[in-house]
Amino acid sequence: MSTDPDTSGLLRSILPPERLDRLFDLCGAHGWKLIAAGAVVGALPPVFGLREGYMMTVLSEMFLFAILALSWDIVGGQTGYPSFGNMAFFGIGGYATAILVKDAAISFPIAMVGAVVAVLVFAAVNGLIVLRLRGHYFAIATLGILLAIQQVTRNLDITGGASGKILFDVPPGIVFYYFFLAVLVVEMAVVYYLTQTRFGFILNAIRDDEGKATAMGFNTTYYKTAAWMLAALFTGLAGGAYGLFNTFLDPQTAYNGAWNVELIAMALMGGTGTVAGPVIGAFGLHTIIEYVESSFVGWQLVLLGAAIIVTVIRFPKGVVGTLRAYANEMDYYERGGMAATDDEEVTTDE
Amino acid sequence: MAIAQFVVNGLLVGALFAAVAVGFALIWGVVDIINLAHGEMVMLGGYTAYWLLSIATGTAEGSVLLFLATIPVVVGVLFVVGYALQRTLVSRVIGTDIFLTLLVTFGISIAIQQLAIQAWTANPRSIQVAFADPSMAVGGLVVPKMKLVAFAGAIVLTAILYLFLQRTRTGRAIRAVSQNPEAAALVGIDVEHTRAVTFGISSAVAGGAGAFIATILNIQPQMGLIYTLKSFVIVVFGGVGSIPGALTGGLLLGVVEELTAGLVSSQWTLAVSFTLLIVLLVIKPKGLFGTGADNEH
Amino acid sequence: MSNTPETDDDHAATATAADTVLRTEGITKRFGGLTAVNDVDVEVHEGEIVGLIGPNGAGKSTLFNCITGTLTADEGRVTLQGEDVTDWPEYKIARAGLGRMFQETRIFGGMSVRKNLLLAAQEGGADIGGLLRRPDDSLMERTNELLDYVDLGGLADTRAGRLSFGQQKLIEFVMELMAEPDLLLMDEPAGGINPTMLENLIDYIRTANDEEEATIFLIEHNMDFVMEIADRIYVLAHGERIATGTPDEIQHNQHVIDAYLGRE
Repeated sequence: MSTDPDTSGLLRSILPPERLDRLFDLCGAHGWKLIAAGAVVGALPPVFGLREGYMMTVLSEMFLFAILALSWDIVGGQTGYPSFGNMAFFGIGGYATAILVKDAAISFPIAMVGAVVAVLVFAAVNGLIVLRLRGHYFAIATLGILLAIQQVTRNLDITGGASGKILFDVPPGIVFYYFFLAVLVVEMAVVYYLTQTRFGFILNAIRDDEGKATAMGFNTTYYKTAAWMLAALFTGLAGGAYGLFNTFLDPQTAYNGAWNVELIAMALMGGTGTVAGPVIGAFGLHTIIEYVESSFVGWQLVLLGAAIIVTVIRFPKGVVGTLRAYANEMDYYERGGMAATDDEEVTTDE
Repeated sequence: MAIAQFVVNGLLVGALFAAVAVGFALIWGVVDIINLAHGEMVMLGGYTAYWLLSIATGTAEGSVLLFLATIPVVVGVLFVVGYALQRTLVSRVIGTDIFLTLLVTFGISIAIQQLAIQAWTANPRSIQVAFADPSMAVGGLVVPKMKLVAFAGAIVLTAILYLFLQRTRTGRAIRAVSQNPEAAALVGIDVEHTRAVTFGISSAVAGGAGAFIATILNIQPQMGLIYTLKSFVIVVFGGVGSIPGALTGGLLLGVVEELTAGLVSSQWTLAVSFTLLIVLLVIKPKGLFGTGADNEH
Repeated sequence: MSNTPETDDDHAATATAADTVLRTEGITKRFGGLTAVNDVDVEVHEGEIVGLIGPNGAGKSTLFNCITGTLTADEGRVTLQGEDVTDWPEYKIARAGLGRMFQETRIFGGMSVRKNLLLAAQEGGADIGGLLRRPDDSLMERTNELLDYVDLGGLADTRAGRLSFGQQKLIEFVMELMAEPDLLLMDEPAGGINPTMLENLIDYIRTANDEEEATIFLIEHNMDFVMEIADRIYVLAHGERIATGTPDEIQHNQHVIDAYLGRE
């Protein structure tokens, strides 16, 4: 965390840490109201006339990415298991819905239920394999599964092979706008609540020191799997809707490795391990990528790569994390003031 | 008979996989980094050879000797690229969260891929090497000469790397750093430089392999990821930091792939490779020769 | 406290299951060609503080690991509160009432001190209801009380990773006070802290032992510390139990002296 005087000096005069700290406390105290307010704000644009077109699509996609980034963060940021293959859930949800709607002529809502079931079953099996791995192995294994599923999908007929599936008679865009918004709000509420419960604490414990968590009596496999299935649920829901939203689904789109990197970047840049971070990161990065894509075709992914490198090296805590660290830096000295005196007498060691 | 042909084909291409994996194994063992941009070094090597040849002859064609002349240049260029990447970017995240190290190399991989697309378009290219008679018959089997040259090239590159590590001072420094960086530093080894050299020579060998790959398969900007993942499979099988392990693993993987392509269909090759990856991770082998892959970091 | 009887039969006759919190019988653990722990028997009774000492490499940590389930013994049996836990997974043994403090002092550095303590409290339970509940007032009260007790009250909301090593060690100890295990294993609790802190720690441990009947089994190299605080001591050398008795007896035991000097 950078506390070097030069940058901090400027920031301090504009927004002193104490004030930011109080702002964070305020947000924490009124978290539910903030989420509700966000939901209302998000619901407004169509009311004021935005019912179709490019902007609506962009906003819908923003919500979508926020869902994906937040889902990733449940396992990656809260539990400390960075998956490079979350899109597997997305694709399975998408194909399940597409197949059910197109080939089995099932209505959209019921098909979604089927998609969720498929995703959860897959997540359970998948989880049995990958969740016993740690660090590098876990990350690469999830990537391997994503790519394996992509390859298998390419070779099967039921999924339309390499050409994918085209869908007709899909609901209008506005349905998807509200769908993604609703899923996002629900997910934010769920994650926000969980981070305050024992379950959320245990996930964080697994992230900080899994061995210690085990030594304290927590069956970490159980909790990791629960987090994994939760992330799969939301990702699968989003994927399930996406196929219809996009009217087209092929292995490249459904199991999109580039998107997987994007959503990790979003969570990272916004701030992993927080509720607001991945959402902010998703909104921000998606907007930037859209803008770059429209003005400098083809360069958006170069930008993505560069952005990832810069964030990892300079701002690994992301927006929310860095701000929080800045706001709390006084914490230790201020509140620990009493302990500091004990400190002198008690810890003049090491 | 057909099976023997597949096996031979597999060995021939497998050596190239091995040459690529060897560098990956080295970086993992010495710098403790899984270099997700490793495949891009292969791609860059292929393109470097392609452009060198194009400049020399005006087209991407040439004689064997002309092609082989590009190899030292390719190796040199990729060494510099690898060294620079480690020194400027990767070194800054060493020792931090594993996730961050994975992400930085991933970011580099994407940036290089996309820049390549911008620079050279996404169209696949290949190098045509002229032979009077492109294949030879050996005991009833067809052996394309270029594949044989590529095989030899891959083996030579691997052997040179191995000898470098065993016989030179820098090689010993590299091995020292892989075993114990602090002790190495105390003995006066410039650890940062050594790590960068490791990155450099790994990238150089991968790049050389890429040049050969350009002659027998084609190259396109996004080919890298597959090679990175194959390297991962090979190294998990053969052992982190082990060159003989990577060689064996590479040859085996080549054979498995060719057998799949021949007996089932070439469409399933990648699916098989990725499934192998997962199976290996589940079984968690100790690795044939190397220190074995911990799953606890 | 009395000497450990020399045979299992003796012991069976004089103690009930409730008395003996922990018993290991014939624990043997090998790593390849090396036998780290060889046929070791120990016992810890309720309300005791038992020390485990020995030269480096004697197998103390390995024995601990076999007890906690981190490792599985090749031979022998571990009994906790009357139950055979030899093959149990680590988390299950912990859940059954075994607490552990680590040599390198492990707490959850990324979260606040308070959250660390809340995690340690066992009444949260593992059922869905307990998991999805937010900490209630009485729990928060307890964390405040315990933190005040060790004079770290002001640090409740500080990120645990920012604390000094000594403070982290205290927090790790307080977490165990929250958890109230039937048996607490401590691995070199006196390591790396200054004399003043050590005095405080000894006080806290004694108080827990006196008032809460806390049962403690500890590995330690700091001889003053062990001799002062332990009721009984086991000595390991080269993986074998070479002596047992009161601090006084151990200090005058020739085998023990030889083992330590022999190391140098």
